[in-house]
Amino acid sequence: MTRTRLSLWLAALAIVVLVPACAKKKVQAPPPEVPPAAVQPEQPATEVEPRDQGAVVDQTPDPLAGDIVAVNEYVTRNGLLGDVYFDFDKADLTEESRSRLAKNAEWLRAHPEFEVRIEGHCDERGTNEYNLALGERRAAAAMGYIASLGASAGSLTTLSYGEERPQCGESSEGCWARNRRAHFLITGRVAR
Amino acid sequence: MRSSSAIYPLCLLVVALAAAQTPPPETTAPPPVAPQGITVVLDRSSQVPIVTLAFPAIPGTSALPGTAANAARELEQTLRRDLERSGIFELLGPEQLGVLTLTGDLERDADQYRSLGAAMLLAAEVELEGDRLVLEGRLVDLASRQTIVGKRYRGTFDLARRIAHTFADEIVLFLTSKRGIAMTAIALYSDRDGHKEIYMMDYDGYDQRKVTAHQSISMSPSWSGQGNTIAYVSYFGGKGPALYLADIASGKKSPLVTEGTFNASPSFSPDGRRVAFARALGANIEIFVCDRDGSGVRRLTNSGGIDMNPAWSPSGQEIAFTSSRSGSPQLYVMDAEGSNLRRVTFEGEYNDGASWSPDGTRLAYATRVDRSRFDIAVLDLVSLAAKRLTAGSGSNEAPSFSPDGRRIAFTSSRAGGTQIFAMSVADGSDVEQLTREGSNWAPDWSAYLR
Repeated sequence: MTRTRLSLWLAALAIVVLVPACAKKKVQAPPPEVPPAAVQPEQPATEVEPRDQGAVVDQTPDPLAGDIVAVNEYVTRNGLLGDVYFDFDKADLTEESRSRLAKNAEWLRAHPEFEVRIEGHCDERGTNEYNLALGERRAAAAMGYIASLGASAGSLTTLSYGEERPQCGESSEGCWARNRRAHFLITGRVAR
Repeated sequence: MRSSSAIYPLCLLVVALAAAQTPPPETTAPPPVAPQGITVVLDRSSQVPIVTLAFPAIPGTSALPGTAANAARELEQTLRRDLERSGIFELLGPEQLGVLTLTGDLERDADQYRSLGAAMLLAAEVELEGDRLVLEGRLVDLASRQTIVGKRYRGTFDLARRIAHTFADEIVLFLTSKRGIAMTAIALYSDRDGHKEIYMMDYDGYDQRKVTAHQSISMSPSWSGQGNTIAYVSYFGGKGPALYLADIASGKKSPLVTEGTFNASPSFSPDGRRVAFARALGANIEIFVCDRDGSGVRRLTNSGGIDMNPAWSPSGQEIAFTSSRSGSPQLYVMDAEGSNLRRVTFEGEYNDGASWSPDGTRLAYATRVDRSRFDIAVLDLVSLAAKRLTAGSGSNEAPSFSPDGRRIAFTSSRAGGTQIFAMSVADGSDVEQLTREGSNWAPDWSAYLR
């Protein structure tokens, strides 16, 4: 087998391996700024040695098998678990947040092996104490909806940061809107 | 002016201040009795400065060697600020008194002071006794020329501020029959070192020191009524908000309530035996209470939505808190067992952060004025009439009454970031910024410390 033919063969293999994953992801509507194709270049070609066996062996590193920081980065980058945003002073779910939560629920149903924490956040404009409660309400609203869609409630917990850990530090409408959110964080794997 | 004990020979008490860390014992001598014909009893409810006090420069300072002179100057400045801050004096200092030609003889000088409107004179002297500073001070009634408070304190240089605070508190106690607050402390949380930690400081913002070092988020400090313990919230250990106790003397931290995902807003009962707090049951946040060791957790409220931020009344009989049960955050008061619930705020779309006045008749709180601004208001619990103390100066939140009921500590964005200020309860005047490093939140004024 020449180098060229090996490369072609690998390209074909990559398509076989990645197409089902992509097909699955299409439902999830990743955020526009990060196309799901970004995962493709991660496989080191030299590690694939298909001549050893008759059947095709997929040795692509499983992005969900690594450490938890990398898993979180992967699911965020690919829009598998996304943040849910709230109106000013509210913990009610909007149509937009319900549709985002439906996508999160779909991924969580497919991955019951993860423990997930839903973190509730607020913008800086309420009082610190009341915002702590509001953040808990937001996280609980997101968790309740996810659970109603069949995602395993046993591996889901809530945590409110109120206004104590904003992701955006400026005092502007744009920042405030980004800070009023429920964030999904994978914290570990369910013990078997 | 120069004075000597031969001229004003009344009630000269000697209190030696030890250099130890612990506060000096209060003087055990009985308070001096006002001589006949002197009317110094002030209306306790009065919040305006009603005594004009002449306080000339303390003589003797410039004759002291370097470090002693610095300590003496610190003592004098501290004493002046303590008396101003007490809210019962209008001070005439060296500048205003400069127009007088004083003789040093009180009989002849008294009428000169009175010509400027002064009713009393604070005559003080500092001197050195070995490595100790000695303050001898007299509060003189200018009409009768009689000394009504006379004190002598001795302490090492590092106790200069404490000597001033002790004397100021004695003067206020004598004139109002209520102790001054110069020896009280304020707990807070701050991000100045990169993490949100609990701190404490003297009531005037001096000596800010760290209470926690969890390197996480620690917030919502609440003093016990005895001033020896702070209950607070922390996220350390990767957990959600949970309750802990910090023992001030030993520095020891211990868990109070850590079960569940959300335990917040601790408030000590005045006797220090119980703690009220908020706990989440799913999306429903309710007020709970537990014993000081974390046992005996029981629920006090039962409503959908948010019940948050309890504040125990000074009598221990009632708890104020914030509830969204009407559709917006409003203040409610209930008995400490959860009965007799009543709503107390009806104006404003968002009220939170109740702090009781020490006599239990009023609540200070933050009321929203627009989407990004709150002001501090004080509510009379009988008439339910509210009076606003701040206006047009940033967002103002988290009020906390001083134990004499004359001042309120609060947070404000008026100077950039969030900083802690204190102001007069009477009219929101005499505003003083107490923190400047990082951002600072949630001041909780201690009771009188022992």
